[in-house]
Amino acid sequence: MNPKGMIAAIAAAALVSGCATKKGFEQPGFAFGCPIGEAKVASMDDLVKAKVLAEGRRTTIQTTEMRCSKSGDLLRIDANLNNDSRSVKRVAYKFRWIDREGMRAWDEEPWKPLMLHENSNLVINTISPTNKAADFRLILRSEE
Amino acid sequence: MKAYLFSVLGAAALMSGCATETTRYGDARAVETMTNTFGSTDLQLMAESMARSMLQAPVIASANLPIVTVQEVRNKTSEYIDTRAITDSIRSELQKGGRVRFAVDAAGMKPQTEELNRQQSGLYAKDHSVDMGQMVGAQYRLEGNIMSIVKQVKEAKDVYYKLNLQLWNIRNGLLEWSDEKEIRKTTTRG
Repeated sequence: MNPKGMIAAIAAAALVSGCATKKGFEQPGFAFGCPIGEAKVASMDDLVKAKVLAEGRRTTIQTTEMRCSKSGDLLRIDANLNNDSRSVKRVAYKFRWIDREGMRAWDEEPWKPLMLHENSNLVINTISPTNKAADFRLILRSEE
Repeated sequence: MKAYLFSVLGAAALMSGCATETTRYGDARAVETMTNTFGSTDLQLMAESMARSMLQAPVIASANLPIVTVQEVRNKTSEYIDTRAITDSIRSELQKGGRVRFAVDAAGMKPQTEELNRQQSGLYAKDHSVDMGQMVGAQYRLEGNIMSIVKQVKEAKDVYYKLNLQLWNIRNGLLEWSDEKEIRKTTTRG
C-alpha cells in the first residue's frame, strides 16, 4: 500500500470510530445529556442502571430510555417507562435531587401515581426545582 | 361478692380489648387512596406539576426575580376544596427555588396595612419603623380554576379534576403562561 492510501485508510478508520462513539459529542461527565459524574456509562442500559432505583414493592415496569437536557440552568429529564405485560400496571415514581456535594438539593418529592396500559410506553418528564440540583435519581415503586 | 368482682373485671378487660386504638405516623408524601374525593396526593401533584411548569415560563426563566401576586383559584368542583392550599404550595416551591418573589396578595393586605399603621402610630422610634408608601407592586398575577366531572353508576364512581392556572402580565394584560393538570380517579365496588 502506498503512503497516501495508508493515510486515507487511517483517516477513514479514525472517522468511523469517532462516529461510532457517542462520547465524542458529549460533555465530559454527561451521558445522553444526563449528569453521570465519574460513573462509567457506555450505553443506555448503564445510564438507566445508574439513575433508576426501586423502593418499596418492586415493579415489573422497566425504564427503557432516559434523556436529559439543560433548560437555562435547570435540568430537564425525559424517561420512558415500558409495560410489556398483558395487564394494566400501576406504579408510583418520584425524582430525588442531588447537589454537587452529593447532598439532597431538594425536599423529598411526593410519590406520583401512574397507570400504564398493557403493552405500552409512557414518557414521564420533569425539570429540576432548583439550579442547585446537579444530579438526580428516578425512584419507582409498585402500587399494585 | 368475689365472683361478681371477677366478672366485672373480666367484662372491663374485654371491653377495653375490643376498643383498642392504634395511632401511627405515616408518610405524608405517600399515594393516598382512602376515598376518591380531593386528597393530599391530588394537592401535591397539582402544586408540584404547576410550579415546575411555571419555572419554564419565559418570564420566570429569563426575568430577574419577577414579582408575582397570587389571586384566587376558583373552585368549580362539586366538593369543598381549599384552593388556597394549592396556591400556597406552588408559592412555597417557587419561593424556595429562588426564581420568583411574591408581593402581598389581597388576602394578606389587611394584616400588612395594619402592621404598617401600627408602626406609624407614634409608638415606635422613627429609625426603627418602616415608612409608608414603600410597598412594591406585583408585575404578574396568578389566577385559575379547578373543575371536576363526576360520573357515578351503581358499582363505580369516576372523578376527573382539572386545574388550570394562568399568569397574567399586570402592566399590559398579556397572558404570559398557562398550564393544566388533569387527574382521574376511579373507585369500584366488590
